[in-house]
Formats: sequence, C-alpha cells, structure tokens
Amino acid sequence: MSLVPAELVVQDEREAVAEYNSATVERSWYHYVLLAGAILFAAVSVGFVGTIFWSSLPTWLHHAGTLLGGKGWVSPAGPFGGLAMIAGTLETSLIALVLAVIIGLGTSVAIVYLIPKRLRNVVATLVELLAAVPSIVYGLWGLLILAPWMESTVNPWLNKWPFATAIFGSPGKEFGTSLLLASIVLGIMILPTFVAISREVIAVVPQDLIEASLSLGATRWQVIRGVVLPTAKIGLFGATFLALARATGETVAVALVAGGVANAQFHLLYPGTSIAAWIALTFGEAQGNEIAALMALGVLLMLLNFGFSLVSRWMVRRQRLVLERV
Amino acid sequence: MTEIKSGAAVATSADIRGATAMQLRDVAVSFHGRTAVRDCTFDIAKNRVTSLIGPSGSGKTTLLRALNRLHDLTPGAKVSGQILLEGTDIYRGDVTVTELRTRVGMVFQRPNPFPTMSIYDNVVSGLRFNGIKKKALLDEAAETSLRAAALWDSVESRLKVAASNLSGGEQQRLCIARALAMDPEVLLMDEPTSALDPIATLRIEELMTTLKSRVTIIIVTHNMQQAARISDDCAFLLMGEDRAGELIEFDTTEKIFNNPKDSRTLDYTLGRFG
Amino acid sequence: MSDMTELDKPIEVDNELRNEIRRISQHSRARRATVSKVMIALCAVALVVSAVPLVLLILQLLEKGIPVIDKTFFTTLPSTPSLIAPNATGGVSNAIVGSIALSLYASVLAIPLGVLVGVYLAETETKLASSLRVIAQTMAGAPSILMGLFAFSFVVRDLNIGFTAIAGSFALAVLMLPVIVISTEIAVRGVPNTLREAGLALGAKSHTVSLRVVLPAAVSGIVTGSILAISRAVGETAPVLLVIGGGFTNSWKPFDPVSALPLTIFENAKSEWPSQRAQVWGVALVLVAFIFVLSLSARMWASRKQQVRN
Repeated sequence: MSLVPAELVVQDEREAVAEYNSATVERSWYHYVLLAGAILFAAVSVGFVGTIFWSSLPTWLHHAGTLLGGKGWVSPAGPFGGLAMIAGTLETSLIALVLAVIIGLGTSVAIVYLIPKRLRNVVATLVELLAAVPSIVYGLWGLLILAPWMESTVNPWLNKWPFATAIFGSPGKEFGTSLLLASIVLGIMILPTFVAISREVIAVVPQDLIEASLSLGATRWQVIRGVVLPTAKIGLFGATFLALARATGETVAVALVAGGVANAQFHLLYPGTSIAAWIALTFGEAQGNEIAALMALGVLLMLLNFGFSLVSRWMVRRQRLVLERV
Repeated sequence: MTEIKSGAAVATSADIRGATAMQLRDVAVSFHGRTAVRDCTFDIAKNRVTSLIGPSGSGKTTLLRALNRLHDLTPGAKVSGQILLEGTDIYRGDVTVTELRTRVGMVFQRPNPFPTMSIYDNVVSGLRFNGIKKKALLDEAAETSLRAAALWDSVESRLKVAASNLSGGEQQRLCIARALAMDPEVLLMDEPTSALDPIATLRIEELMTTLKSRVTIIIVTHNMQQAARISDDCAFLLMGEDRAGELIEFDTTEKIFNNPKDSRTLDYTLGRFG
Repeated sequence: MSDMTELDKPIEVDNELRNEIRRISQHSRARRATVSKVMIALCAVALVVSAVPLVLLILQLLEKGIPVIDKTFFTTLPSTPSLIAPNATGGVSNAIVGSIALSLYASVLAIPLGVLVGVYLAETETKLASSLRVIAQTMAGAPSILMGLFAFSFVVRDLNIGFTAIAGSFALAVLMLPVIVISTEIAVRGVPNTLREAGLALGAKSHTVSLRVVLPAAVSGIVTGSILAISRAVGETAPVLLVIGGGFTNSWKPFDPVSALPLTIFENAKSEWPSQRAQVWGVALVLVAFIFVLSLSARMWASRKQQVRN
C-alpha cells in the first residue's frame, strides 16, 4: 500500500465494489462481531460530534452572538468573543494557502517533469516523511529560529514599503511572533500535504495529451499551462481544500508562533491567534462558561474542517471521472 | 544484409514518385544505449501516403516519433543518422523544435482531444499555442480544417460543446482537424484507427486518401489490408536477432505486396507470421 | 451522408491564411520560448524554495538536538532550573515513559476495533458500511484538538476519570481509529478474489474464509496502517495537552497523570531558562527520530509485502 496519509486517501467506491466482488459474510457469530465493531465505531463518531456539541450548548443558547461577533475574551467571567479567533483562523489559513499553492504547484510540476524518474521516488518518500514531522516541531522551529529572525530582519524590512503600516501595523508595535509568522509556518506545514496530492493529480494526466500538444508546436510551459493544469484542475482544487482543512485545524504550531493574543485586528505583524490555538492555550485554566465557549469554538472548527474536507473529497472524486472520460 | 540495405537505397530513387518531403538516412533510435530501431534509409514522397508496417517490436512507432522529435523529452533517448525535411536535418542545432512540430503534425493511436476544451478550442489549440489570437483567423482556420477533416457539417452548430461529446470516430477526425489547422507539410499517424470501429475506420481511410493532395502522410499500421488499401509506398520493418527493429524493405506498396525482394516481406504480407 | 459529399470537394489550400499563420507564429516563437524557459525555471525555483525550510528544519534539529542528548536526558526526571543552578534541567524520562505508555494504551484501544470496522467495510455492502466509510475519511482529517475536547468532555468530566494517561490514550485512539479503519479496508480489499474463491470452492464457510484466508493475507497491510497510525499519534500535542495532566513521575499506570514528548516541547519552548529551551531541541530530535523510524519501518514492511506478492 502507499504511504499516503489516510486523510489523503480518497477511495472510489464504485471502483472498489467492482474490483472486489465480496462474498457477503452470512449471518454467523463472525458477522455479529464485525457488526458490533461497526456499531461501536458509529457510536464513537456520534459521541465525538455529540459530546462536543452538547458541551457547547450553553454558549449557543445564551451567548451565540458574542461568540460569533464579539471582540474581547475575558477570563474567567466572560464575555467570550470569538471574532479574533475566527478572523485569525481565516486570515492565517488563507495566506498560508496562497503561499503553499503557488510554491506547491511549481514544486509538483518540477517533481513530475524536471526530476529524473529514478529520483522521483526518493523525493516522494522525502515529501511523505516531511508530512510526518509533527506540528509541534514546526512550531518549535518557528518560535526559536524564525521569530527572532523576523523581529531582527524581516519586520524592519517589510515596514519600509509604502502602505506597509496599513497591512502590517505600526513599526515598533510589531512582534516576531505574529499572524504573518503563523501564516508562513502554516504554509510550510501544509506544503507537503498539498504537494502529495497535486503531484499525483499532475502525474496522471495522460501522456498522449502532452504529446498531442507538443506535436502542435507548444512549448513545454504551454503544455503545462494549456493542457496539464486545466486537465488536472478539479483535482488541484481538491488538494487546495484539503490543505485548507489542515491549515484551519492546525493547533500547537499556531499556538506557539502566532503570539497568542485575542485581538480582533488584521495587521499581519501584530500578535493574534486562531480557534484551535486559542483552545490549546486557554483550556488548561478554563472553568464553567469558558469551557462551554471553547467547546463552541471547537464546534465552529469542526464545521469548517468537515466542510472543507467534504468539498475536497468530492473534487478529487470528480477528477477521477474526468480522467476516465479521456 | 548489405544487399537488402542497398535494395532499399535503390528503391528511394524511384522517380515515378516525384518530389520528396522527407529523407531518412541511416536513422537509428536507442534508449539508454539499447537500440530500438536502426538502418532506416528511405525517402518519403510528397503528397503520397507512406505506411510503416511490421510486427510488434519492429520499431515502427519509435521511428515515426523520431520524425517530429517526440523523443526529445524522453530521458536516455538518442536519435542518430539524418532526417531531412525539405533538405534540412531536423536534428540540426539551429532547428527550433516547436517550429518543426508545426510543420510535421501528428495523430495518435487513441483519439485524444483535450478533455477540458470545446470542439472549437481543440481545433484552434495549435494556433493558440503558436501565438495566433485574432478571432477572424482562428475562425477561418477552424472552418477550413474541420472541412478538410470532413467534420464541419456535423459540428458546425455545436462548436462550443465539449469534445468528449463526439463519437470515437468523430473525435479522431477532430484530432486530424487539430493537426491540419497548423497546415503541416507532413502528417504522422500512429495507428490512427486501432481504437475505432470498422465504419469509423473506413471513413478515416477515405479521408486520408483525400488529404494527401494537401499533406504528405506517414502512417504506422498493424493492419496489412489497411496499408494495402491506402498507402502508395510502404516500409517493412522487422525485429532483428538482438531485438532491435530494422528496415527490411522499402518500395511502392504495390511491389511490397505483390512482388517483394525479400522473402520475409512476402511471409509477413501473406500473414505467415506477425 | 453529408461528409461524403464534403470529401468529394477538392481541398483548396488558402495561401493567404497559411502565410498569415506562419508569419505570426514565427514572430512570436522567440518570445514563447523565453516565457517557457522562465516559467520552467520558476518551477525549479519553487522546488528549491519548498525544500529550503524543510532542509533547514532538519539540519537545525540535528545541530541543536544532538549536543543536549546524553544519558541523563533519558534516565532522569526533569527539574526546574534556578538562579543557583541555571542549567539543572534534569532529563525527560517522564515524557519518554509517558509517550510510550500513551501510544501503547491507545493502540490497545484503537487497533482491534479499527481492524474489525475495516474488515466490516471490506466484507459487507450495507448502507451502514458506506456511511461509516465517509465518516472514517472525514474523521481522519479532523483537527486533533477536537479529540482532546472529546476526551475531556467524555473521559475526564463525564466518566469522572480525571486528567490521566487513559484519557490521553482515549483521545489518541479516536485519532488513530479512522486511519486503521481505512488502511485495513484497503488491505482486505487488496486480497485477490481468487484466494477467496478457492477457499469457498473447498466448501469453507464465508466467515472461515474471511478469518483463515483473507485476514492472514491482509495482515501486513494492516500492520503497516497501524504503525503509521501510531507514528502519527505519538507526535500529537493538541489532544493530550488538554487531558493528561502533565505528570512529573515515570508512571506506567493508566490512571496516573503523565507527560509526553510533544507536551514537554510545548511547555518548555517558551521557558524563561535558556537551558530548558535548549533541551527542547533534544526532545524534538528524539521525537522526530522515533517517528521516522516508525514510518520507514512501515514503508519497508509494505515494500517487503509487495515483493512477496510479486
């Protein structure tokens, strides 16, 4: 089996059923054991969603508006406004996504078309290993290596540009640990995820389409831009959404490098936080209503993540249909 | 061996065939040092259909792909000898490969219209790759080449629909139209009917016969009846003892099928092997 | 047959059109070649750009991690540095014990159930199976902090078990489950139908075939999937952060609070003591090395299986 992480596996059900004409296990003790396992798993999944939602219910009933639109988070009594976390999540994920998609697309094209075949497996293994590096290690690296460098070198340089203050915030008030650093670290982290899928999607574009365009006098770039990327388009969107799902759910790395301040603002060099990071940072001290509010943030995170990953799966599946028609 | 080679060389000078479009001189193709096909010396006559026949592994397709430098991107592939197009060696350093490919077009085994493009976009894709943006030019070229591929009447009203809506035979004619839009001098066809049903095959064959007044056609085929029906000249290749394909005989199709010089050619055309 | 009449017409070649096309394509050729070269070069640059931070990360991990790893690192409990002894960080034995204990209990919880469910998905075609498949795929991508919230609500609070190793293992087990389910299903479906048919043809009952023929044939795929699931779980911080209590002893007991390698990193990375911040690199190195060994052994196991099959 391939070592693609399980969340990247998109099975085609029709394909699976067609290939594997499974003799349905008849009613026997064995069947009931399997069924019991399946029901227990279903119960765990329902419990997973249900328990978190149930624990967040007080917030949804009484403070839903504050959670979704409120600006301040005051421990331990409240109010618990979630705007800073929601905004921070979207802001850091989207910037990370833009970085990862631009660099990742180029990387995937380079892996498929520039690297010799023999080296390709080595590169694929490396990408998979890097995807296995735990996020806490990226966070540590961001905090102890990148943050001081941002503070001493990058931030002053960024603030030299016109309109920089509008984007990054006033010089002197900015920090090494900031929303921008969180976005960069997130971008680096989701890059292997994106590349793992986009590389595969690009590699399966049929060779004869490439040769057909070459035979019409297309340059190599025109082949990629005009035929390969459009043919792989839906799958690439799928990879993008999967990377987005990962970015929004990333917790400890963002907790370490974003600065951990619940300020609802959009200046990139100011400290901020995300939903997941905020749960990690404040849960230890939380009591009563604050726990419910954090659970409610968890529900939001779940909705975002499930939404993105469903879209992603649907797209990768549709990509297969496109290629089947070819 | 030597006799056969010289036999082939003699055949190239047959003057009934008029002007030459391409000349192959001792062409060989190897991958990572392993020869796939070699000893190919013959002339492709202008405005005729030349077929490359021979059993699997005889290097027909490999040879065909050398004619528009499709091996360029295959790592480890090496083409030696000379391939002349209008007197110029296409592997010479100053030949631009993209330009060469607009002059030597190709149609593939499997109908392969670009799946994300409409019929119209498919036909003009080559023009767009080559920097032509003017709508009037694109429209005119699209109509001309679709007419030439005998497809215009059936697709005129649905140029904007996806090419995947066409039948297999229509898709292949679309691919021919796509190649013709660049107005190439030579059209390479790699078993263009092997994925088609008999009726669609027949229509492509008729099309080729009409097209040769406009473009020189070189076709690889497994189907000897097809080669006999449509081609004017014929090159017979066979796999040698070291598993490398080589040219056995080149002559007019009539001679290859009725009066070949080499007994192996006779055996093959009579269906005794292959 | 309209096409036939079309074919009968002589094909006229429009020289004007041909010349115009030739002219434009000739004119734009050099520019297009340059654009192509530049863009391809940019792709190569992207490859380098994406490799640089990852290579730097690994190099710095080695450079800063190796010097702080010694015998006491593995064998002694942590201590808090003070002004008198600013370098007295102690070791991280509690975190090592904790991480091993957590993954052990999590495996015990997750692997049997995951395998059962995976076999169920592969062997039946019920509505329940297809919805569980979607659920497993969605759960496999769920943010790990949610597993922590679940374990807190259910194990720590509702079952009143408190901040313990078992609560952390529960969170990790929920994380591992979908991974094991998916890889088991793939492994079982990968068993050739001929094997199964041979068994059935001999008159064996379908459950006997499933247990005696299909499962043994799928076992290496299942093992690979389980190792990958463990390697993912052992590096997770967020789920255990909320529920294991951060114990300072070398306890293997499931109902004691424990620590874990990632948790140690998370807590000490922001320490005011330079000695503790330095030690964190060693913890990270040990963690990454452990995960790489697990992943590579899973990969080797998978490729060995492939060879056996071939």
